[in-house]
Amino acid sequence: MDPDLIVNGVVAGSLYALVAMGFNILYRPTNVFNFAQGDLVMLGAMICASAMALWSLPWFVGAALALAAVGLLGLIEERIAVAPVLRRSASGHAWVITTLSFSMIIANLVGRIWGPDPIAVRPPPPLTTETFELFGANVSSYQIALVAATIALAAGVESFYRTRAGKAVMAVAEDREAALLRGIAPESLSRWSFLFGGAIAALAGVLAAPLLYASIGLGPSLLLKGFATAAVGGIGSNRGALIAGYVIGLVEALAAVVLSPGYQMAATFAVMLIVLLIRPHGLFGHPEARSV
Amino acid sequence: MASTLRALLEWPHLRRGLLIGLCVVLYVAPLAVGTEYRLFIATQMGVYILVAIGLNLLNGYGGQVSLGHGALVAIGAYAAALTMVDLHWSFWPAALLAMVMAAGVGLLMALPAFRLSTWYFALITLGFAEVIAGLLTEWRALTHGFAGVVGIPAPKAFGYAFTARDLYWFVLTLVVLTLVGMANLLNSRFGRALVAVRDNPVAATASGVSLVRIKIFAFVLSAAVAGLAGALFAVQKTVITPEDFPADFSVFFLLVIVLGGSGRLAGPVVGALVFFLVPELLTALQSWRLLIYGGALLLLMLYAPHGLVGAAEGLWKKLRARLGLPNIPPTPVAADAPIRAIDGAQLSVRDVSKRFGGVAALASVDLDVAPGVTHAIVGPNGSGKTTLLNMISGYYRVDQGAIAVEGRRTENLAPHAIARAGVGRTFQTPRLLPHLSVLENVLLGAFTAEKHSWLSAALALPAARREQQASLAEALRYLEFVGLRERAMELAGELPHGQQRLAEIARALVGRPKLLMLDEPAAGLSLAELDRLGELIAAIRGIGATVVIVEHHLELVADICSRVTALERGAVLASGAPQDVFSDQAVVSAYMGAHVRIGEKGA
Amino acid sequence: MSAPLLDVQAVDAGYGHVGVLRGVSLQVEKGAIVALVGANGAGKSTLLKTISGVLRPTAGRIVFDGAEISGLAPHRIVDAGLMHVAEGRRLFRSQSVRDNLELGLYGGRLDAAAEARRYEFVYELFPMLRERPDHRAGVLSGGQQQMLAIAQALMREPRLLMLDEPSLGLAPVIVDQVIGAIERLRAEGVTILLVEQMVDRALDIADRAYVFQNGVVIGHGAPADIRGGDLIRRAYLGAAG
Repeated sequence: MDPDLIVNGVVAGSLYALVAMGFNILYRPTNVFNFAQGDLVMLGAMICASAMALWSLPWFVGAALALAAVGLLGLIEERIAVAPVLRRSASGHAWVITTLSFSMIIANLVGRIWGPDPIAVRPPPPLTTETFELFGANVSSYQIALVAATIALAAGVESFYRTRAGKAVMAVAEDREAALLRGIAPESLSRWSFLFGGAIAALAGVLAAPLLYASIGLGPSLLLKGFATAAVGGIGSNRGALIAGYVIGLVEALAAVVLSPGYQMAATFAVMLIVLLIRPHGLFGHPEARSV
Repeated sequence: MASTLRALLEWPHLRRGLLIGLCVVLYVAPLAVGTEYRLFIATQMGVYILVAIGLNLLNGYGGQVSLGHGALVAIGAYAAALTMVDLHWSFWPAALLAMVMAAGVGLLMALPAFRLSTWYFALITLGFAEVIAGLLTEWRALTHGFAGVVGIPAPKAFGYAFTARDLYWFVLTLVVLTLVGMANLLNSRFGRALVAVRDNPVAATASGVSLVRIKIFAFVLSAAVAGLAGALFAVQKTVITPEDFPADFSVFFLLVIVLGGSGRLAGPVVGALVFFLVPELLTALQSWRLLIYGGALLLLMLYAPHGLVGAAEGLWKKLRARLGLPNIPPTPVAADAPIRAIDGAQLSVRDVSKRFGGVAALASVDLDVAPGVTHAIVGPNGSGKTTLLNMISGYYRVDQGAIAVEGRRTENLAPHAIARAGVGRTFQTPRLLPHLSVLENVLLGAFTAEKHSWLSAALALPAARREQQASLAEALRYLEFVGLRERAMELAGELPHGQQRLAEIARALVGRPKLLMLDEPAAGLSLAELDRLGELIAAIRGIGATVVIVEHHLELVADICSRVTALERGAVLASGAPQDVFSDQAVVSAYMGAHVRIGEKGA
Repeated sequence: MSAPLLDVQAVDAGYGHVGVLRGVSLQVEKGAIVALVGANGAGKSTLLKTISGVLRPTAGRIVFDGAEISGLAPHRIVDAGLMHVAEGRRLFRSQSVRDNLELGLYGGRLDAAAEARRYEFVYELFPMLRERPDHRAGVLSGGQQQMLAIAQALMREPRLLMLDEPSLGLAPVIVDQVIGAIERLRAEGVTILLVEQMVDRALDIADRAYVFQNGVVIGHGAPADIRGGDLIRRAYLGAAG
């Protein structure tokens, strides 16, 4: 295989894994899969890009701004689009439609404010997107940093689940009522997880921007690719997200070369469907509880 | 004023009269006011309504959110257009192909949904829509890319080509037929099964409904309707390009039904009408479209989850209540017939074991129940009684051992297959469908007793209607039997606990079970209801069914059961006649805490 | 006589449209073991869920240590010092024994030394837990799971412990251990509200008992009086009068 292909696949896969981790963080205590996650990623990229391009702020400030703003927006989403429908029925699926509508609202507003043109974003120095040759492949220092940062973040998120708060999140995911009886408040965990899930989404956008440009088109495609990654890895598993991200990134890179770039999405979906048909709960997921 | 209004509201044919009047207006209108533009818009609206009716079946009744129906319309449109233009097919086979192709893709989209939660389906359909949109432009050899398909001819019948007005009438007729068929279907065993699969899958399987089959049915039918609408879309527009199917096309249909009322028959029609009544507004605000869609969906889901039709129903009920009219429809009438006898089945459980993690729930349990016998399983809480029922009815996998009903091995069958083999049951917590009437809940139990196909149900063929009438008579008779006929038309969720249990027993009986299993039927019943339950079980035994009853209420057990098996910690402690088992010292000390003596009352 | 630790006053509660409890009143004195007995479906578990805030009472008041707790969120009620061990040992089965114990500390304000003492306390009570800190809760035997569930509820030093059917599905020798643990807890000053189907075992250790039938309290008193009367027979057999 062409070494460049592997580089491209792993780099794109890291981005998908980042998006998938955002999904997972939200999903664990709430069993809600946020349909607006792609738009939160997109918004993170746009805020960071604008902060750097318009106000000439340094990368770190732009990134911090994006994380804070999108985290807050995640919290707002939880308050207006998720908590009310979950209060009505904790096991219903009305949130599919409410988070989807939230996504449409954000996408439209961002489109109105920023317009359709992509904004180029420079990586934070000393990193650059200039490529050099490494083991026969063309890579940039930014790509290496991105892949490393994703692995570090996955490790960080997994280690959070070994803290007491993290165990409480897992407890809510496993048995909500038993968690209630142990003094764990699912509502407050749900708020926190939307805040963090939003911030992680923004981080994914900020990290993606130097490679993909910041544009409104990021939202829908990252929603779907992030979903495919989370589903293949097993919803809730961050290790699974990382590995599935690489798999999907490579499949996509391969499809672009062998077929044509227009068939990337079809290839991704074919892989996802095959995995789900063989292992409905993904490579690292657990089956849901029995109903009787 | 109020009295005229009341007289009007009381008119039994009010609804039908209004609908027929509306149809007449719609058929005659083009002769009077049929400009070309209006016809075009009205036909287009008809096409959209068709898609929305199909989506409503899937979303409103099946509970699945599809974000890919726009893509299914595109598939139907391209299938029809390409075969008509490139291959010179006539409209009719092209429309059939459109339906088949959309149904096939719909099935493919649905495959992973059978084993996964609802929201996977939403995302998978969204992804499919994206993939299809990509293919429309990429696969130029087939789709002509951005250029699209040009010069799609009008449908012809007997050499006569449809004018725009004919096409309007044709689409209108299809909409009316689809609505009538859908109403028939939803009112049949298929409609009830669909709602049961959405609201309470366990109740559905216990009544013999296969979750996978009913879901396939809903996906495929819904997709086929979208495909048909696509074919109509193509011949109406005469030119189709990828831009006719924008990314938010699917969301548009979802919005239409949520706006009109998801899960309401008229919802798609009302939703589409309202949408087209404000076209001016929408063109002015074209660039805000997504925001408006999103905001409207969010507000509707939060404040009017049943849409405009749901809100109107609420007002209608208030109006009737204010006028002193009842909101509970009259119980339908059905021919009276005696309750038919049932051939009780023999049950044999051999050496069955089950473990959950570190806990042995059942250890090598044997149980033999002769045909027509009422057999109780007793034992302290946690001794494995309900686990045993769940193994017999297929909800838990059998780790080891054999279970046979009438000599036929059932231990590896799915729950719905065991129900079809004649095993009915009730649950510790009654599993009714709270938003359906008591009668509809009981009719769900007749799912396997009725044999007619979905098509004959949709067309209301005489054979299907005969079966439905027979089930209705049977259901009403069993409701009478359990003393609930008076409340047949009330919502099941509003019955008190004890009556919900009785309704659940009636549901199991309508399936004419050869083996009926009752899980703690006496728990939480009042004294009067308890007496009724005793008589009821005696009457069920009288019909001939074999009854297995898990029960704590030992006096009831002693009164009505001829055999008793006592379990403790997953093993059989004693088995035999009630007086023998209840005087067994081991049973007394295990179960009663040595204090309450049973059998004093003569058993 | 001092005010009771828990005072349930004329409570109605149920699920959705379906009422289960009607006008239930009950008191638990500090340091006592109070037993609730009655047939399945009589409403005992519903009462415990209402006290712990999982269900909201539709009428009546629940007062704990002088403060009204009815209508509070479950975690606030836990903070007030009331722990409920639900029927069927609702542990977090995929987490380890030690993690389950740690989750019992969630939301508490103990310092590290005090937490260590709590671990020591439950290990003393149930030595089995000390031997298997890394086992997943789901692979433990029924008796071990019950002990872990009680231990988990004890981590935050509750003043009132509500136990729902602790003997469920356990071998007699294990039931003896669980009952023994409950008596030791009383000696440590923990007040206990016990729902138990093994009526005799419950009455053996209870200071007072309430008899439930069809969502109402049909009688209460000292164990000896309950044993002597006809209440139990009525509650379990449903015979009128």
